[in-house]
Amino acid sequence: MQDNVLELTRVSKRYGAFTAVDDISFAIPRGTIYGFLGPNGAGKTTTIRMILDILRPDSGSINILGETSALNVRQRIGYLPEEKGLYKKMKVWAIISYFATLKGMDKRVAKARAFELLETYGLKDYAEARVESLSKGMGQKVQVLSAVAHRPELVILDEPFSGLDPVNQEVLEQLINDMAAAGQTVIFSTHIMQHAERLCDRMLLVAKGRKIFDGTIADARAIIPRRVILECQGDITPILQMDGILGAVEKSLEHSHAEPLSVGTRHWELQIQEHANPQLILQRCFESGIPLTRFDYTQPSLHDVFVHLVGSDAKEHHFR
Amino acid sequence: MKMIWLIAAREYAENVKTKGFWIGILLFPMILVAVFFFQSMLAESAPTRHYILIDQSGQYAPAVEAAIRQEHQRRILQEFVAYVIENRKAANPEQTVANADAQIDQLIDDVDAGEVAALDQWLDSGGLNFALTLATPYLREDAPPFVEPREQFIQAPLPEGVDASASAEAIIEQMRPWLSGGRQLRVDASDGSDEDGSDLFALILIPAQVNNSIVRPSATPLAANQSAAGIQYWARNLTDVRLPNAIERSINSTIRNNEFAARGVDADIVREVQRTRLPVSRLDPSAEQGQEAVSVADQFRQWAPVGFVYLIFVSLMQSVQYLLSNTIEEKSNRIIEVLLASVTPLELMMGKLLGIGLSGITTIIAWLLSFLAFILFYPGNQAEALGQFLDVLLSSDLIPYFVFYYLAGYALYAGIFLAIGSLCNTLKEAQSLMMPMIMILMLPLATMTYIAQDPNGPVARIMSWIPLFTPFTMMNRAAAEPPLLDVIGTTVVLLLSIALVLWLSGKIFRQGVLRTGQPPRLVEIFRMLRQRH
Repeated sequence: MQDNVLELTRVSKRYGAFTAVDDISFAIPRGTIYGFLGPNGAGKTTTIRMILDILRPDSGSINILGETSALNVRQRIGYLPEEKGLYKKMKVWAIISYFATLKGMDKRVAKARAFELLETYGLKDYAEARVESLSKGMGQKVQVLSAVAHRPELVILDEPFSGLDPVNQEVLEQLINDMAAAGQTVIFSTHIMQHAERLCDRMLLVAKGRKIFDGTIADARAIIPRRVILECQGDITPILQMDGILGAVEKSLEHSHAEPLSVGTRHWELQIQEHANPQLILQRCFESGIPLTRFDYTQPSLHDVFVHLVGSDAKEHHFR
Repeated sequence: MKMIWLIAAREYAENVKTKGFWIGILLFPMILVAVFFFQSMLAESAPTRHYILIDQSGQYAPAVEAAIRQEHQRRILQEFVAYVIENRKAANPEQTVANADAQIDQLIDDVDAGEVAALDQWLDSGGLNFALTLATPYLREDAPPFVEPREQFIQAPLPEGVDASASAEAIIEQMRPWLSGGRQLRVDASDGSDEDGSDLFALILIPAQVNNSIVRPSATPLAANQSAAGIQYWARNLTDVRLPNAIERSINSTIRNNEFAARGVDADIVREVQRTRLPVSRLDPSAEQGQEAVSVADQFRQWAPVGFVYLIFVSLMQSVQYLLSNTIEEKSNRIIEVLLASVTPLELMMGKLLGIGLSGITTIIAWLLSFLAFILFYPGNQAEALGQFLDVLLSSDLIPYFVFYYLAGYALYAGIFLAIGSLCNTLKEAQSLMMPMIMILMLPLATMTYIAQDPNGPVARIMSWIPLFTPFTMMNRAAAEPPLLDVIGTTVVLLLSIALVLWLSGKIFRQGVLRTGQPPRLVEIFRMLRQRH
C-alpha cells in the first residue's frame, strides 16, 4: 500500500518582500521516516507550520491525512516545535498526559501512557519532578514524548536532535525507529546529516525556500561523483590522464588534520566516474612510482551532498 | 468545548498552585484580623506618658490638670458606652434604644452627637460609678465586668537641680537632656512594677507673664516672630495631639470663665447655654414611613458599593496580570505552537478566560467566606456591627449587581489583556502596552468616593456610558437606584462591547501568538483586525 500521508503541491509563503517558501512540492508515503534538511533560514519551520495549518500558504495546496487542513485531523498528528519549551511548574508526567488529553486521549489512559513512555525512554525517576528542575536535554526528551504520547499516525519533529548529548540522541533515534516500526510516519528536520543518513528512508533538501532534492538516500549519494583521496609527494599527472577520472582538486588540510602533513606532501581529491575502478588507480600509482602516504576510496556522505548542493548556491537540481 | 474545559482546568490548577494566588486569598482575612484585633490590642497597650508641668503664673495649673483628668474621663466614657452597647440584653441595639433607661439612652446619644456636653454630664452625674449602677439592670447577666482603662498621662516631678522659677529660656536649656530623650525621668512605678526610668513625653511651661499673651478680638494680632508666645508645649512627638488639644481647650475655657467673671456674667449661665443644642435628624425620603431615620446600616448601604468597586478592581488586576504573564510565558516558551497544533486559538483563548476567571471567583468566594467566618467567630461589638452590615448586604440587591459587574468587567479587561499578551514576547514589552490600560483602570478608582457622594450626578452618568468604566461606575452607583435608562442602556452597551472586544481580541490573539520579534505598531494591529481567517 503506497498511499501518501502528506502531499504539498506548489506551496509558497511570503512575508512582505521576503519569500520564505518558494513553490515547494513533495509527497510523503505512509510509514516512512522522512528527513527534512536544509541550512538555517531555508524555510523548514515555515513549511512545517503550513503543514500544521498554523500558517496559511499564500498559494498552493496541502493534503494531510486526506484532509486539506491539519486542524481537522490534529488528533492524529504529533508535533514538536523547533524552539523547545514546557510549562516550568508542571510535573513531568502531568505535562505529557496534559498534551495527550488535548489530543483527545482519555485522562486515565493518558496518565498510564505517560508513565509507560517515561519508563521506556529512561526518565522514570523524573516522573514526579517539576519541569524546571530538569536539564535542557531532559526537558527536550520530555517534550518529544509529550508530542507523541497519543500515538499519532503522523509525527512531525522540528529539529528534535539539537541540544541532545550523543547518548540521548541515540535514545531519540530509537524512539523514531520504534514509531516507524509501529507503522507511524515520522518527519523530522535537522542539520545533522548523520541522523538523516542513519534514520531516513527519504529526504527533502531545501535552501532559500526552494526544493533542491527530494528522494531516497541512495539517490542523494548518487548526485555527487565518488571520490578517491590521495596524499603523496610530487606529481600526479599520470593518474589524471586515466580513463574515468573527472578531475582533481588539491586541498589544504591545515584545519582538518590533527597532525600537519610532512613537508612537500599534498592532498588530492579525485572525482571519478561511477564505473571507474579504484583498484586501477592504485595500480597506476605504483606503476608511476608515486610515493603514496594515503589512499582512500569513500562513498560520498550526505554531508558532502549537502555542502555540494547548498554550498554551490542553490538551483533546483534535476535528476534522472 | 471539551478542549476549552481541559485548558481551563489546567490554567485553574496551575494558578491555584502559585504563591501569588494564596497570598491574595490569605491577605484579606489577615488584614481583617489585623485591623480589628491589633487595633484594640494596641489601644490597650498604649504606653503611659509622663509630662512635667511648670506653672510660673500660678493661675493655670489646676486647669491643665483638669484637662488631663477630663481627657482620661473621655476615654472611660467612650469605652463605657462601647461596653454598654456590647453587653446589652437584647441582641439588636436599635430596638433596645426605645426601652432602655432614658439616661443611658441619652448618654449614648450624646456621645454620638459630640462629646462636649456628654462629658460634662458624665462628670456632673458622678462619672463611672454612677453610670455603672445606672446601666447594670440593662446588661446581660453574663456580661464581663467593666475594666477601667489605665491613665495615660501622668505628671512627673521636676528633675532635681532644675530651677522652676528661672526664665523660660533657662528652664528649657536645663531640661534639654530630658526633652531630647538623652536622660530619663525618675518616676514612681504606677502599676507596681519596678519601672524607675521613663522618657519625658512633654514639658508644659506656663510663663509668669502669660496673661500678656491672651489674644482678644480688639487687640492687634501677634507679630509673626512671637511664635513661642503664650503657653509653651514642648514635645518631640508631633503626632499625638490629644494632650496639647485638651490643654488648649481647658485653658481657654478657664480664661473665658475668668473673662465672664470680669465682665459680670455668671459662668454657670454660660455653661447652661453652651450645653444647649438642637439635634439634626438625618432622614431618607426613599425609606418606608416610620423608618426614615438614617441609621448606620443605611450609611453602610450607601458606602458598600465603594467596597465592591475596590474588590472588583483588586481581583481584576490580579486576574488580568496572571492572564498576561501566562500568555507571555507560553509565547516565549513556544508552548503555544504545540497548543495550536492541538486546539484552535479561540478554544485556547476561551479556556484561558474561563480558567483564570474561575480562579478569580475562587478568590472572591474565599474572601467572602473568611469575612463571614470572622463575623461568626470574632466576639465583640465591632463584629456585631459587621454582622449588621452583612444583613444589609444580603437583603439589598448589591450582591447580584456585584456578580454581574465583576463578570462583565473581567470579560472586558481579560479580552484586552489577552490580546496585549499575545502581541508581546516579554513582560517588559507588555508593560509599555499595558500602561494606558492601567491608567484607564485607575480612573474609576480615583472617582469612586466622589461618585458615591453624587451617584446620579453628571460625572457618574457620563462614566457609566463608557464601557471600560461601566462595571466600576455602575457598581459604584448601585445603591442609589440609578435611572432605569442608565441601568438597561449601559448594560446593553457593556454586553455589546464585551462581544466586540472578545471578537477583536480573538483576531489579534490568533495572529499575535505566533508573532516573533518586536511588538507591532498600531498600523499593524489595525491590519490584524481587518484580516479574515
